[in-house]
Amino acid sequence: MKKQRLIVIIVVFLAIVGFFGYNYIYQDHRDIKTETSTLEITAPYLLERFKTNNAEELLNKTITVTGKISDVEENGITLNGSVYASFDNLTSEDKVGDKIKIKIKGRCIGYDELFDIVKIDQSTVVK
Amino acid sequence: MESRRFIGKLKHMKTKIAFTIICFAFIVTAIGQEKYATKTGQIKFEASVPSFEEVKAKNNDVSAVLDAATGKFAALALIKGFRFKVALMEEHFNENYVESSKYPRATFKGSIQDFNLANISEKTEYVISGTFNMHGTDKTMDVPATISVDGDALLLTAKFVMQPEDFNIKIPSIVSNKIAEDVDVSVEFRLQKQ
Repeated sequence: MKKQRLIVIIVVFLAIVGFFGYNYIYQDHRDIKTETSTLEITAPYLLERFKTNNAEELLNKTITVTGKISDVEENGITLNGSVYASFDNLTSEDKVGDKIKIKIKGRCIGYDELFDIVKIDQSTVVK
Repeated sequence: MESRRFIGKLKHMKTKIAFTIICFAFIVTAIGQEKYATKTGQIKFEASVPSFEEVKAKNNDVSAVLDAATGKFAALALIKGFRFKVALMEEHFNENYVESSKYPRATFKGSIQDFNLANISEKTEYVISGTFNMHGTDKTMDVPATISVDGDALLLTAKFVMQPEDFNIKIPSIVSNKIAEDVDVSVEFRLQKQ
């Protein structure tokens, strides 16, 4: 009788450990789209922050960038020639024309010195 | 008399300078047109070990610039832009292995040996010699690459192997049997004429 109870306790214990362990290892990716952004900033000023003081604290943060569209590519939008926002799926509806003011939310991944541009990924257009 | 001559000379010099500047501007634009670049290059790497969870990541926002006149080539990947299937693996990669907050960029600077834009037809094999910089460490490497013409763009692909220890990236012994020592890297850049 005692032995049986012990076995049940062990099985339940293992199941709980397994459940939480599995959920920890296979936790979901961040959903940048639903995260609240920690900063709202204009595109030229964001670039300036990276150039003057490296802005390490902004890396991996969800931020909202405002600016004028200077270039539209297949999966990305450039704002004021200073921020490149990459989209997981850029809809044709989001591909609005040149020089239009727009607000984009995404994850800041850093400064690209080849193009002199700050990149954000997993972007969405904030309406 | 004398002063008038001097003014005349000065005017002449002015036109000369203006002419030189215009010529120079033309040369600069001509060289500028030889540039091919992309902001959306792709780098994939895999360090999987059979029967363990696959260790694989992809970055679709890699920048690269090729100067077709000289064959000089540069590429830059933001480390935070590498994305894994397993979120926790991505977190460990960034925080424990490559320390992407401290070293946010991986770069390559080099030149393509015997590069000649006119000679590229179908698929041409090249060797790019240059220096990788990652995790604060430099490493010189010769990378074999294939370049082909695709409309007005150049398609550059490369496959090579890297070792984390070359870049002073330490893999803890608990997980070292789940991560391959040789990391297979594959690169694809569609370089648009600028």
